[in-house]
Amino acid sequence: MFDLLFLGFGEIFTVKILLVIFIGVVVGVVAGLIPGFTVAMAIVLTLPLTFGMEPVTGIAAMIGVFVGGMSGGLISAALLGIPGTPSSVATTFDAYPMAKKGEPGKALSIGIWASFLSSIVSLFILVTIAPQVSQFALKFGPWEMFALICLALTIIASVTGDSIIKGLIAGLFGLLISTVGADPIMGFARFTFDLDVLRAGIPFLVVLIGMFAISRLMQSLEKSQLEKDRLERLNEDAAEMKFTLKPFQTLKKVISKPMTLIGSSVIGSIIGAIPGAGGSIANIVAYDQAKKWSKEPKKFGTGCEEGVVASEAGNNSTVGGDLIPTVALGIPGSAVTAVLLSALMVHGITPGPLLIVDEPNIVGGIFVAFFIASFAMLITQFAGMRFFVKITQVPTHILVPIILVLCVVGTFVLNNRTTDLYILLAMGIIGYLFTKYKYALAPAIIGVILGPIAELNLRRAFMTDPDWTLFLSRPISLTFLVLTVLSILFTIWQTRNARKKAQA
Amino acid sequence: MGELIVAIALIVLSVLIYTQTDDLPSMNESQLDAGSFPQFVAIILGGLSLILAIKQTIVLVKARQQNNETSIKEQLLYIVKEHKLVFITLALLFLYILAIQILGFILSSIIFMIVTALVIGPRTKKSIVTVSSIAVILTLSLYFFFQNVLQVRFPTGVFF
Repeated sequence: MFDLLFLGFGEIFTVKILLVIFIGVVVGVVAGLIPGFTVAMAIVLTLPLTFGMEPVTGIAAMIGVFVGGMSGGLISAALLGIPGTPSSVATTFDAYPMAKKGEPGKALSIGIWASFLSSIVSLFILVTIAPQVSQFALKFGPWEMFALICLALTIIASVTGDSIIKGLIAGLFGLLISTVGADPIMGFARFTFDLDVLRAGIPFLVVLIGMFAISRLMQSLEKSQLEKDRLERLNEDAAEMKFTLKPFQTLKKVISKPMTLIGSSVIGSIIGAIPGAGGSIANIVAYDQAKKWSKEPKKFGTGCEEGVVASEAGNNSTVGGDLIPTVALGIPGSAVTAVLLSALMVHGITPGPLLIVDEPNIVGGIFVAFFIASFAMLITQFAGMRFFVKITQVPTHILVPIILVLCVVGTFVLNNRTTDLYILLAMGIIGYLFTKYKYALAPAIIGVILGPIAELNLRRAFMTDPDWTLFLSRPISLTFLVLTVLSILFTIWQTRNARKKAQA
Repeated sequence: MGELIVAIALIVLSVLIYTQTDDLPSMNESQLDAGSFPQFVAIILGGLSLILAIKQTIVLVKARQQNNETSIKEQLLYIVKEHKLVFITLALLFLYILAIQILGFILSSIIFMIVTALVIGPRTKKSIVTVSSIAVILTLSLYFFFQNVLQVRFPTGVFF
């Protein structure tokens, strides 16, 4: 277990990579704190910049953005009461009242420490669990892999979005997108509808940029959104707020609440490891649980320290959890880790259970980059806070055209094809319609990246042995499929119950 | 209403995919050919979309019975008002993509950024100056970064 870390330290400790991680963290923090600019967007747009780098350097840069972004939402959440990213909704419950009571510096410092310490806890969980999981996954044949992907997709479908049926539809739609172009075994071109644009298939990253970045920007251009945005801006001016950060005093405060910190970090790591569930869910669940455990739950919501610790520890620790299935199984739990995996693929590395065995230096590099990024986040947040506060207010009319151009550049750079740009536009429109009608985007994205793997394993299974009952007679495969059905049934039962309660 | 249209569009898509797979070549050695997996996905997608469509129809019929629906004209007017900027920006993005191939990357990016910013935001002198300078600086730095560091050739268009 620790040999991976040693390898990682060897890979990461060069001036260049440390610098790259540092820059990544700064970019992530900036992206996290600008409302309307999400971490997923930032990481997607960073990817093209890393093409020229070594695989480890590129991955390190993206992990920097990931860690920074998760903590960046804190600033606007605490000072403006607006979550800078969906992952910091619960942070506004206590950090904002605390800032209003005249202690914005304390709210920020506690948040930063909670983010940092929870990252370390989740890293520890990642390093201990990931190798075990992948060891276990080495026993998987194509049957198990296929069943596992079915399970992953249904879980994503049930935790995100409006209803499970819409989630499943989104996931299946993603699978279909992935079948356009050459088939994975024989290379026949499929579903091109005689359009040259589609002959090469629909590249995963173009789908991602379109669905996550363009559709999100379009949402922010709706009239009611612009109106709301304008009012929020008038309301407060973060740049004029005066505060002092007290790193050392607040560290004591955070450490004096070890139960909240560790409890929330563990919750965050577990939620992060569930495909589809990420920072936005963990943030709220951790806050809720901390409130339940607390001896004085009434204090929550009035600016209490536990509330800030729980919410920020919850969202930052999802990073480590999210990396567990990504590294150990090659199954990404979120859009962000999906980009990470596709970055590996761009460099010719195949993710999957064999990754730890075949590329231990990459895996170790991921672990150590996460460790370093957490430190870089701590330093940047404390040292750069004054500067960051000033840029919470980039107006929409400047942000939108800049990011649109970055999307176009990012898409073009992938394959040097202008035809991909039309796919980008189409995916942006589809993604926008998806969010308009409350279909979750995450299942679609994970569907696109897992589609080829699912198909490959399904067909391999039948090539090895045409007997389809093997899916049910192999114990691990059966377990996954039973869990798949159960997760669907459970969600249906849960929504029924919720509806009954609402009616009563 | 919109929900129903989306569901119907998804049903059409699944039928389309399902029928398209018949033309795909198959090999005898394996049980599953290039069309099997998409067919499998299309069947489930079609089925689920059908359930959703039926659900939505029931909701719509109920709403009509209660007669609390606003007129279609009003609804359309609201949609246009609410999404005016979205439509314009998407149209501009489309024109930008076309223009990249004709005017080249640098020129079209600068024009696109300025026009979009002015369409969305205020059209004051100050904002024109800020937006133009951001557009020029960003475009040139992107161009030189990718050209020199990553050796990406952007489309140059007819002028350069």
